[in-house]
Amino acid sequence: MNKSFSFIIALLAIRNNLFAAEAGMPQLDPKYWASQAFWLILVFTVLYISTAKFYLPKIKNNLDDRENKIKNDLDDANKFQELSESKLKKYEKILEDAKKEVVKIHIESKNLLDKDIQIKKEIIEKEIEKEILKAQKEISDLKKNSISDIQKISENIASNIIETISGDKLNESSIKAAVEDISKKNLGKYL
Amino acid sequence: MASNPMQQFSVHKIGPEIKIAGIDLSFTNASLFMVISASIILLFLFFGTKEKKIVPDKIQLISEMFYTFVAKMISDTAGSKAKPYFPFIFSLFMFVLFCNMVGMLPYAFTVTSHIIVTLIMALFIFVAVTIIGFAKHGFKYLSIFIPSGVPTVLLPLITVIEIISYLSRPVSLSVRLFANMMAGHTMLKVFGGFVISLGLLGGWLPLGFSIALTGLEILVAFLQAYVFAILTCIYLNDALNLHH
Repeated sequence: MNKSFSFIIALLAIRNNLFAAEAGMPQLDPKYWASQAFWLILVFTVLYISTAKFYLPKIKNNLDDRENKIKNDLDDANKFQELSESKLKKYEKILEDAKKEVVKIHIESKNLLDKDIQIKKEIIEKEIEKEILKAQKEISDLKKNSISDIQKISENIASNIIETISGDKLNESSIKAAVEDISKKNLGKYL
Repeated sequence: MASNPMQQFSVHKIGPEIKIAGIDLSFTNASLFMVISASIILLFLFFGTKEKKIVPDKIQLISEMFYTFVAKMISDTAGSKAKPYFPFIFSLFMFVLFCNMVGMLPYAFTVTSHIIVTLIMALFIFVAVTIIGFAKHGFKYLSIFIPSGVPTVLLPLITVIEIISYLSRPVSLSVRLFANMMAGHTMLKVFGGFVISLGLLGGWLPLGFSIALTGLEILVAFLQAYVFAILTCIYLNDALNLHH
């Protein structure tokens, strides 16, 4: 479309110029054809040689360098990522182990403490029991003693009373027997 | 000068007359603009490759973009076998592109608007491609004129058509570029002349056209350079990879 359009314009331009006073297309004047050909070949050869030998290898090297650098950097990044991932895994494992250890230590110390408390409790209970037994014995001893003391006192009182009333001294053993008899009968009343 | 739109294409001598063996090889305005275009390319590449930065600056980036653009164009159309011809295609593309673009500047001369220039380039490509074809494949290269899958009855006709189309390649290649450039510049000149002749009252419309056409012509300048280069690649592909 564009091509045919420009072609029509070109043809129009050519026709207009053919009608114009001056000569038509300067392009068709062969006067400088040789010159243009010569200079074109010269200039293009210089351009070709300098780009081919000098500039294009430079650009190519630079592009390759960049590609290599990017590739290396990416490889490095991947390596470091793997490294960091493995480190993270290690760290997580350590953390997990530590947690397990904590739980273990907790349970152990709890058991130990429980045992200790149990032992101490038992010892104290035994001691308390012992003390109780001792106290009970003391109480019963005291009771016994007090009974015999009471009997003696009652014997004395009884013999004194008898002496005072009758003026006779009674057999000590008979008084004792009588007091014992009475106290046995009445002991339940007071104890 | 403004009166004749074809005046801009006239070639005149600059400096002394150079005659070698009776042939006039004088330095002309056409030669001057060839030198200017080539110098711009070389300067551009010089600054583009001056510093080898990992992160490129603008001019380095643009030169690298040209490189990858042409490299991709060649590998897409002609494959990996065409790699040795990369510098030629690159210089060709850059030369045509910069000649076209420099021609867009006011008062500049458009080198590629001359049939002799484009014809020499096209003929060189045609001859070179033919030589490459015969060098790579010998007489088998002639099978390019016999397309596969054609009925035997049609074969003589098709072969004649193929030969004609092959031989007309330099003509079509050169005329396409030359005619596009000439037509565009003539058109710009004609509309520019209208602006002057219609004056302050009526000149605005052709001025607007002129501006729009300048944009179009810049596009055409790039497009024709691209077409010239890619057709060269396609011809090269025919010569390098015989069975298409």
